[in-house]
Amino acid sequence: MDVDTGLIEQVRRRVTIGDSLAPTVAAGVIGLGALILLIGGERVPSGSLSGANLWFIALLLVCFAVGFALMRWTGPAAVWVANTFTGQDLDYRPLRDTAPWKYLGFVAGCTFVIAALISAVQGRLTLQALLVGLGASLAMIAVFDWPFDNLLLPPNGDV
Amino acid sequence: MKNLMKTVAAALSALVIGSASQAADWAPPGPVKLMIAFSAGGGADTQARLVAEALEEKLGWQFIPEQVTGKGGLNLAAAIKDEPNDGSVIGMVVTETLGYNMAAANAGMTPDQFTPIVTTAGFQMAVVAASSKGWTSFADVVAAAKAGEDIRFGTMSPKLSDLAYLLGKANDVEFNIVQVRGGRAVMDGVNAGDMDIGFMAGIQRKGVASGDLVNLASALSKPLDQTPEAPTMADLGVDFVADGYFLFIGPADMPEKARTALADAIGSVASDTSTKAGALIDSAFGGATVFKGAELDALVAGGYSSAGALLDAASE
Amino acid sequence: MTVFDYIWLGILAVFQGPEAFSLFGVAISMTIVMVLSGFLLGIAVGATPGLAGPMAMAISLPILISVFGFSPDALLPVMGFLIGVMKGATIGGAVPAILFNTPGTPDSYMTTLDGYPMTRAGYAKKALKIAHFSSATGDTFSDIVLILTAPFLALLVEAYLDLPEKTALLIFSLGFIASVVGGSVGKGVISMGLGLLAVFIGTGEDFYPRLSMGTQALAQGFPIATSVLGVLVLGEVFKSLDDLWQDRRNTRETQAPTQAADQSLRWSDIRKLLPYIGRSAVIGTAIGALPGIGSTLAATMGYGSSARRHAAKRPEATQFGQGAAEGIAATEAANSSVSGANMIPVLSLGIPGNAAAVFLILATESIGGFNPGPTVFKFTTDTVNPELVMAFGLFTIMMIANLFNWTIGGAFMRVVGVMARVPKHLLLPVVLMLTLTAIYVQETRLSAMWAAIGFGLLGYLMRRVGMSPLPFVIAFILGDKLEETARQAFAATGGDPWFLFTNPIAAVLVGLTLLVLVLAIRKPTEIKP
Repeated sequence: MDVDTGLIEQVRRRVTIGDSLAPTVAAGVIGLGALILLIGGERVPSGSLSGANLWFIALLLVCFAVGFALMRWTGPAAVWVANTFTGQDLDYRPLRDTAPWKYLGFVAGCTFVIAALISAVQGRLTLQALLVGLGASLAMIAVFDWPFDNLLLPPNGDV
Repeated sequence: MKNLMKTVAAALSALVIGSASQAADWAPPGPVKLMIAFSAGGGADTQARLVAEALEEKLGWQFIPEQVTGKGGLNLAAAIKDEPNDGSVIGMVVTETLGYNMAAANAGMTPDQFTPIVTTAGFQMAVVAASSKGWTSFADVVAAAKAGEDIRFGTMSPKLSDLAYLLGKANDVEFNIVQVRGGRAVMDGVNAGDMDIGFMAGIQRKGVASGDLVNLASALSKPLDQTPEAPTMADLGVDFVADGYFLFIGPADMPEKARTALADAIGSVASDTSTKAGALIDSAFGGATVFKGAELDALVAGGYSSAGALLDAASE
Repeated sequence: MTVFDYIWLGILAVFQGPEAFSLFGVAISMTIVMVLSGFLLGIAVGATPGLAGPMAMAISLPILISVFGFSPDALLPVMGFLIGVMKGATIGGAVPAILFNTPGTPDSYMTTLDGYPMTRAGYAKKALKIAHFSSATGDTFSDIVLILTAPFLALLVEAYLDLPEKTALLIFSLGFIASVVGGSVGKGVISMGLGLLAVFIGTGEDFYPRLSMGTQALAQGFPIATSVLGVLVLGEVFKSLDDLWQDRRNTRETQAPTQAADQSLRWSDIRKLLPYIGRSAVIGTAIGALPGIGSTLAATMGYGSSARRHAAKRPEATQFGQGAAEGIAATEAANSSVSGANMIPVLSLGIPGNAAAVFLILATESIGGFNPGPTVFKFTTDTVNPELVMAFGLFTIMMIANLFNWTIGGAFMRVVGVMARVPKHLLLPVVLMLTLTAIYVQETRLSAMWAAIGFGLLGYLMRRVGMSPLPFVIAFILGDKLEETARQAFAATGGDPWFLFTNPIAAVLVGLTLLVLVLAIRKPTEIKP
């Protein structure tokens, strides 16, 4: 077990509850639930997971992975490209709270995820999907970024 | 002669301006991430945010506050350890984080992995009871315990639990030590009757002033500001104290220039009661206590090395 | 300070709070503006199929906190907005149910049964008016019950409950919720166990963050926003998107039926409806007061009970399911009267009973200065108890929201009919990114977004296997408190391992927990909320 203290501990000459007890109880509760399901023989129809569901999950995760990668690296990439043109030696990190740099990654990643999911559901790529994505990311910038000095849009807290 | 005077004056002024501008010409490279080890909305969190706000106004630096709570500041320590040390990331913890907590956690972290920058205020740590209990001194508590009453002692950190245990031991009684999260929880517990006495670090000020709470003892090396007649830990037979301060830290080996500039800037805001931050520190913690530089280094090192003795004493 | 002083201070706190703007020389307080905005947003959100009140509450919470900060002044405006959304969403849900046969929120499903037939018969506006009248009546009734009972319940709890009893009460609440939510006790208990397990990661009293496997990402534990928004909001979005993806079909346009000229709701109509509204309001309030049973079950029960009575007593009238005005009234009065009563466990015990209450608790926890629970209602006479003033401020807010509901709610409901036409496949991906962004601005780590997606998948799986995510969420919120109270109770009793059984009240509560579990297993409920 990845815990420092056992179920109960001897501290300051007293028995105290250790850090393992609570997770053990939680596991016990899960076990109890399973037991009720097994022996209870409940006649409640239970759903199931089909292959198509799994495909959808995979699709979803790929969308997120690509979208978040765009989010994280579009800004630094743009700074790098700008450096090769201007000959400056800028770094994305100090620029992470400066427009327009701070918006690049968010707009790219957010637009991608939204457009990709809409297209997936529609079964085809449409301009409408792209526009909704772009519009939504701009709207979110307006809601989260413009009014507040202290909020950071993704990915600017990580760089 | 006149010329020489001029030269000396010029040299002197250059020296003065030079040293002054050395601190002033350091500015953080971009926005500063300010990690806060206290939960949002509490007094400590408010203090950190107000300090940042004042610095933004005064120096034009930009801060981005972020909560990194839990484990007595050790979560923050672990998070800040590997951040850039150019002054673009600082964090607010308590001295106990780099002292007792780090020593007790045994998590492979030592104070050397951090740069202590400056302290802002000290705790008025006291043993407090609700006045409805009818106790006016710590001796009354001991008497009640000896008469067979179960005494619940609320604490908010393992170090304070150790001190509570030692307080009992030194007075031949045994307390039921109830450790909770944060000073507010202790105060709520004492007010609600869930606990009989508890450690509070300044939050009791208002209650004591209005007569709802009573300071029974000072947990510091010196008497309390508010209740100077209350006995100190040493008076009660305990060799350890709960002196502690709010502390700004950075990752290890922060450049001296950055460290000094940050320490001066934060320290001056904390002691300036015309700022919101200074006013809060004055009203909630009885004024600023600013340690920096070598003095602070010694304080932090002392806290870490003395932790072992307390740990040993409390496990006897 | 007398009780009346407190009530008066609470009302003043709402009206004399920070000023938003002044109208003809009269200062309008921020809180009132926020209640109104929340209420209108709630109606719009409720009227949009695919969006629900809790989602809007979840997404607006970080924005509200950024606007108002963490000061005690922030509490009333923020809570005002959230309560407004909660109340608005309940009546908004009836709009698409009546107009387009699609429930805007799950609890308005029963409204479609009679509401849509009325629309087809040409009485859409009248149906909306009936829904609004019943909803507003049920809601107001429920709030009055809340105001009258919560303080007494809280005082009772505070007088009799010490640490061991408080531990037992938490166990009882969790056990009760796990047993009654959803159709299956076993799944409810598993859901609860998972929630407990998740919250125990990274927390605990040792300096080593337990179960974190040495990683920095897990050491701080899962932030509440991540897990709650993940399981509740993302899980729902994932499932709906999946459903859309599976049958990639276009939405069919429905032909709008021609509407009758006379749509007015007369006193004679109301008199006929009142018995149904009254019965449903009582059912909804009773159900709302019990943690874990939501407005959907209240609506089902209110509708069912009225349907039987209607068939027996007035066989000659239009029957339920064929466009009976009484059917709409019975449903809407029942689901709306949950929203006030579910604040009873929130305010007096600090225990959230449904998803909306979860976000109210989250708001108070993030702002600080107000800890829902029995201590709120401590009537101190010589000094002012600020939490009690806040509590009466909240009551005032609820009454103001009701006032808005009675005056402009009906008109606004008829306006937001267009929201029901927003296509789900465009809306859901936007909601998804909005939720993730809201999480990011609070946590500022991409790993938090991934964690939320992980919880979203968990929520998705739970929904697929028919397991209610609500016990998970409530266990996640109460788990920490449970562990802490248990530790404290254990330490305070001097290390008595039987502290749950040696105190009579605690023992009774633990016994009740077992009883509820056994009863629920033996009699599986047929109604799925």
